[in-house]
Amino acid sequence: MEYENLKNALLSNVDMGLKYASTVDRNAEFELYLFYQQRTLVNITQGVVDAADGIVEGNAVRVAKQNRLSFASSSGISIERIKRSVNEAVASLRSVSIKDTRFKRFCEPKKPGKEGAFTDKILNLGKEELIEIANGMVKEAQDFDKRIHTVGSECAAEWGGFAVGNTLGLQQASRSAINRCEVYCIAVAGEERRTAWEADVTRERLIKTSGVGVEAARKAVNLLGAQKLNKTTVLPTIWSPVAAAAYVVAGLGQAASGEHVVEGRSPIADKLGKEVGNPKLTITDNGQSPSGVNTDAIDAEGHPQQKTTLIAKGELSQFVFDTYYAHIYGSESTGNCARHSRPFGSTLPYETSPSILPKNMEVEPGRKSLDDLIASIDGQAILIVDTPIGIFHSNVATGEFSAVAQSVFLVEKGEKKFPLQPVSVSGNFYAGLRQLLAVGDDLEKTIFAVETPTLIFDGFSIVG
Amino acid sequence: MLGKLQKCVELGEKLGAGFVEARFDDLTLRTLYRVNGTWKDIILRSRAGVGVVCYYGGASGYSFTSSDDHEELEQTVNKAFKMAKASARAVSLKLDFDRKPSVKSQRADTFQVKIHPQAENLGYKTELVNRTVEKAQESGKNITNIMGLYGELHGRKLFTNSEGSVVDWNFEIVDLQCRVTSKTASGDLVNGAGRAGGTVGLEHFNTEGSTPEDIGNEAGAHAKEQLKARPCPAGVFRALIENRLAGVLAHESFGHLSEGDFVVVGGSPLAGKIGARLGTEHATIIDYGTPNISELGGLWLPYDDQGVKANETTILDAGILKHYLHSRGTAHHLHQEPTGNCRAVHFGFVPIPRMTNTYFAPGDLTKEEALELLNTGVYAIQTLGGQVEGDGSFLFKAIRGYWVQNGKIKEPLREVSLSGNILDLLSKVEGATRDLSIHAGYFGGCGKSGQAPLPCGLGGPELVIGEVRFGGKAS
Repeated sequence: MEYENLKNALLSNVDMGLKYASTVDRNAEFELYLFYQQRTLVNITQGVVDAADGIVEGNAVRVAKQNRLSFASSSGISIERIKRSVNEAVASLRSVSIKDTRFKRFCEPKKPGKEGAFTDKILNLGKEELIEIANGMVKEAQDFDKRIHTVGSECAAEWGGFAVGNTLGLQQASRSAINRCEVYCIAVAGEERRTAWEADVTRERLIKTSGVGVEAARKAVNLLGAQKLNKTTVLPTIWSPVAAAAYVVAGLGQAASGEHVVEGRSPIADKLGKEVGNPKLTITDNGQSPSGVNTDAIDAEGHPQQKTTLIAKGELSQFVFDTYYAHIYGSESTGNCARHSRPFGSTLPYETSPSILPKNMEVEPGRKSLDDLIASIDGQAILIVDTPIGIFHSNVATGEFSAVAQSVFLVEKGEKKFPLQPVSVSGNFYAGLRQLLAVGDDLEKTIFAVETPTLIFDGFSIVG
Repeated sequence: MLGKLQKCVELGEKLGAGFVEARFDDLTLRTLYRVNGTWKDIILRSRAGVGVVCYYGGASGYSFTSSDDHEELEQTVNKAFKMAKASARAVSLKLDFDRKPSVKSQRADTFQVKIHPQAENLGYKTELVNRTVEKAQESGKNITNIMGLYGELHGRKLFTNSEGSVVDWNFEIVDLQCRVTSKTASGDLVNGAGRAGGTVGLEHFNTEGSTPEDIGNEAGAHAKEQLKARPCPAGVFRALIENRLAGVLAHESFGHLSEGDFVVVGGSPLAGKIGARLGTEHATIIDYGTPNISELGGLWLPYDDQGVKANETTILDAGILKHYLHSRGTAHHLHQEPTGNCRAVHFGFVPIPRMTNTYFAPGDLTKEEALELLNTGVYAIQTLGGQVEGDGSFLFKAIRGYWVQNGKIKEPLREVSLSGNILDLLSKVEGATRDLSIHAGYFGGCGKSGQAPLPCGLGGPELVIGEVRFGGKAS
């Protein structure tokens, strides 16, 4: 399969699959999703090399008839595999009479949006080059400081696409190519071990071949010599872009989902048009950002992806929807249908039934630099420079979170003082939006598909 | 299919690979998901594919395909070999291993259940979920959401390699769950949960404590109790950790650090510490692929994805580090025996060291004695999962808890998070109860190196810990 003819090849099988489906049950509505991706991945850790190269391909069928719905998927995109899924989905539908009276119809055909930025250099990124890049990153991290004890690097190149078709006449496809790298370092001094990582994920250019390893090593070494906070207290917390991105995904990223809103699991379900955050806060979800890693012409059910404002100057503006939940809520789809349920995606997306997720969230930057923000702290604050562990184990319904921030510094009287041993940070995501003190100007794209600057929150409990 | 896999091995060797492994998974996954009165998902997945590992010059290359077509399989072997050859130029730490006599599985290696999920129709399974949700509905007017979930994963796993091993067995796991969300008078949302499952037949849902009604009742009753629960105080307290949570501690906080791939590269704080005291005499941690499921529960894994037979591995023996969890390569490098822990989440991934059923060994305390030993602190119950980092820092979540004063349960607490460093925590285990149970299910699972969710079992007795850091509300 070539990148150039990928869409045509997938759409051709979608067309054949739908024609077959209509012979199985002429009175049923069908939706067919095909996924194809070439993946090459190299991992080098302390001289151990693991490498993989393969094709992920599969199909999924949804069938609806008289308010009954079922889903079946199978590995492969050949017409034989598609027929298998069609037959299994229809058999499921016939074997039980369970109605979903809320289902109205599949996604109606609309003009697609635009695919994201693309460089054909990613298509030509071979295993030898990935190994060379990964090796170079390990070396530069090891050379940075004698206290760097363990280094792991992973580089990957992925390209592919998906196609969706249904019996309402929709037949659309979208392609993308992404390359990414990540370096993980452990710095050791005596019995103290501190970890840090750095990553580069991009679709519009090749990944950086230098600098990523050095940055990971610098972060790890800077954390050595950590002191104990030695108290349980409430302090302002300064979340660097990568930590802030995790906060946004784990909190609003879930609560703004139309599914959680409709099903009574989102505490902001009744807050549309009301103030939910500090007026400094504006957050959009941009499914058409050219450089966004989740940008596609269509979402996972064929609806055009779009830009949606979630919070404007602290006021809740919109939730994100797919067709199913938009119908129930009395709204329109925002092009946020996804085939995975976690912020990190799914390794076999075709196996997952449609869900709702933000595509690329963007937090509007403020005007103060990180240095100015730190200088504005009168008493003490905690600076969090990496993703706190456990932040994604939070509960959308309660909004309560408790995470361990490992990469933290004490800020005191306007100055960044010294690294701290891990502290636990607890609070409520939604209360946090109202307790926002400041927004930085240091906008950064992160691996969580969130572009955000530094955010400072008040009122979280700290145990150190 | 075995013949096709054997041809893959032959081709890999012909290309120049020193050793080749080929495996085929043909799995069926069924998910049923009801939200309130609506069936959100009725899903059937067929997951079939071939994975090939070629070893060359101390490095390995992996490739996979969902096709069983001869030409596709040849290309897959070629890709795996080329990856291995390219990787060999960069490798400086070689994970070779010695050849051993071939392994042949037996029919009896597959766990036999009375009612296999395949034997019952879809209507039987939807009724299990309906009964669960309907029972939960009886738990009060504050309920805003009830989720009922049923999952099954089963099918053939076939493996062969350059030693001529033939491992052919059937994997099976089922799960029935209920989650209830209720709203307090002040508008806060609180949760309750109940579940049962593991490598069991559907007859398991007829047994006391695991019926759909029991599961629905547990979720509903706990959500109701949470209406009057207060947030857990923040700070350092004594703790009693319930069986399922002890399992998360064994798995997330210690098990991952004992995985051979972290150890060989020095990424684990347990590297080089065999024979060292890391915990108290009450801390014994075991990993075992084939525990006594009918008595303890858990997951049945007679072989790993390198064809190695399951082993009962005592990782930590009364506080002393004894063994790591291995692939064949990491075992050879560290001069230990393979443990049957090399697993892949599906055919799209190379097998790596992972856990099977990981649990604390039981002690000699009764429940009452454990509460008495706890005296005053937090009793943390059920799990929402957890995470560990390379320095031993961990965080894990309990769905609910109680504040215990002078050995008596005083009041319910909301969601509780526990954090710290595992090596500190193991040195503070003061006792364990007599009751051991292992828990496994279809939903959730372990994540590592992008491979998730991998079904794992975890468990233990209840553990009394002298000092744990609780995240919560600081006064």
